[in-house]
Amino acid sequence: MERLLQYVFDGLSFGAIYALLALGLVVVFRGTGHLNFAQGEMAMFCTFIVWQINDWGVPLILAVAIGMLFGFALGAGAEATVIRSVAKKSPGGVFVVSIALFLGLNSLATMIWDRAEGYTMKSLFPNKDVDFVRILGAEWRYKYIGVLIVALALMGLLFLLFSKTKFGLAMRSVASNPESARLVGVPSGLVLASSWGIAAAMGALSGALVGGINGQLTPSLMFAVFIYASAAATLGGLDSPGGAVIAGLSIGIGEQLVAGYAPGWIGQDLKLSVALILIFVVLLVKPSGLFGSLKVERV
Amino acid sequence: MLKIKEGSVVHWAVRVACVLAIAIFIVYIPTHSETARIGQFASAFTLIIAAMSLNLVLGYTGQISIGHSAFFGIGGYTAAILIRDHGWSPGYTFYAAAIIAFIVGCLIAMPVLRIRGAYLALVTLAVAVLFPTLLRWKKLEWLTSGAKGIDSVKYDKLPVWPFLGELKGRDGRAVFAYWLGLLVLVIAFLICRGLIKSRVGRSLIAIRDNETAAAVMGVNVTRTKVLIFGISASLCALAGVLSTLSTGVVTPDGQYVTLLGSIIFLLIMVVGGAGTLSGPIIGGLVYVWLDNTTRGIGTDSRGVVGFIFGWTNQSPATLILGLALIVIMLFAPTGLVGLFRKLSRRIVTIEPQGQ
Repeated sequence: MERLLQYVFDGLSFGAIYALLALGLVVVFRGTGHLNFAQGEMAMFCTFIVWQINDWGVPLILAVAIGMLFGFALGAGAEATVIRSVAKKSPGGVFVVSIALFLGLNSLATMIWDRAEGYTMKSLFPNKDVDFVRILGAEWRYKYIGVLIVALALMGLLFLLFSKTKFGLAMRSVASNPESARLVGVPSGLVLASSWGIAAAMGALSGALVGGINGQLTPSLMFAVFIYASAAATLGGLDSPGGAVIAGLSIGIGEQLVAGYAPGWIGQDLKLSVALILIFVVLLVKPSGLFGSLKVERV
Repeated sequence: MLKIKEGSVVHWAVRVACVLAIAIFIVYIPTHSETARIGQFASAFTLIIAAMSLNLVLGYTGQISIGHSAFFGIGGYTAAILIRDHGWSPGYTFYAAAIIAFIVGCLIAMPVLRIRGAYLALVTLAVAVLFPTLLRWKKLEWLTSGAKGIDSVKYDKLPVWPFLGELKGRDGRAVFAYWLGLLVLVIAFLICRGLIKSRVGRSLIAIRDNETAAAVMGVNVTRTKVLIFGISASLCALAGVLSTLSTGVVTPDGQYVTLLGSIIFLLIMVVGGAGTLSGPIIGGLVYVWLDNTTRGIGTDSRGVVGFIFGWTNQSPATLILGLALIVIMLFAPTGLVGLFRKLSRRIVTIEPQGQ
């Protein structure tokens, strides 16, 4: 029982991080209909910026804020300069550009921060061996609690942004019909650029959280996280923010449970596979994810 | 602007000149280049075949697949296992790999192709991620040798082909890999061309443009999609066999067996021109050229590159590759073949007969 609780709790924290990155994917997909394969690498690059600023003596929390701003600029800039003009002419081109961003950012990070063993990343939360509370027998580590709270708070803010503000309304209108949105005076270019910016800023935060949990920073920081996050976005339905959160959290828990309870013959290597196969099965039953809307088209 | 009538003497002269130029180029490479260059072309042929196979599924049928690295790996491993464990002659493994990949491809396609668009991209991404972990799985080690892979899979003695004479040593192997690659490439190209220019090809394009409309017009959508996925998988497996035979090694971390491979195939296809027959060929040649040129740019190089990248100890190769891809997509969003068509139309037009 204690073991189970422990797994569920640890899973929730990891799941919150996947959900953050998955939300970024969903925001971009709803706005532009594209998958941003560079989402993870953008997050990684911003995390290095956070580390660098922190290393220069700025408090970590401020550094994270600056990193998120940088992320916003990076995402919005990429959309406004390259993505938009390519997307107009060829949808497949956006895929290539996002892969090019992936390769470029990864390579640039390796070039700038070239220590092979990586860098030590501080956590936003107390991170010593004694920093935990014991509830129902499970250890609730402060850093995990912190991650969970920050992630959930940010998601809450995002939902408010989407549903209660004028900007959220503009975003939804651009997503549902770009042409009409432009005709009624919505600055659709600005909206698209900001949705990429918001996605990248959320990526920056999730990167900083992952770095804090791992305690170590290398250019491959976000690779596995991105796979889980994209699985979460798919499972939840690519156009459903709520779905991304629920799916992210359940993938986090599922991952921990599989790691903890799977029979020995499966082995650690197949941990990721079990999660992916489950998602596979779900998609076969519901091809547009658990909460995604089915696209109906007229012929 | 020049106008040429279709079927006129000039038109035929242009055609013959193009074919001759390509033929001279093909013969010139293995006879007059250094071994490394020949090897680069051989690996380009492998990548072109893989990109062609992807083109059938994505370029013509509109079904995105990021899982083709798995089929490449199936081909590579089939060849390696058959040669090592069962003493097959390397040439026959092509057939076995094609058949196995066809079956696996159809089996994967049947459930997966229900899923559309971006969801399909992520599901096939899962296939690409799962495949290497499957290869490393302890329970399969008797077959795949786990993480260390299978090595020294080679022709013991190169077969003697009529017009090549006896090939020996490292140079000989490179030349042989070149011609073998070219042979498979030509066969793959003819298969693709045959499919595209036929009734099947038209139904593929109908499915790409509008699946529902295609079904209404009488195309058996499911059967067509599954079959084309299987054919595509088996072509990709051929590329895998080629790669194994020329490098002699397969490992779960091999560049083209992992997710990276799928991404490279896609890049080649889109850069060359999706949904065109010559797109993958142009894309493959350009990609291998770009890859080798940027890799050659070390940090110690002088001039502009040294000036810009002098501050880092790492190679800027990947960064330059990324930038180059963005530039290509900005100036040739429909691929290099599309750009060529647009530009050449300004200079020469071929007028169809009967006008």
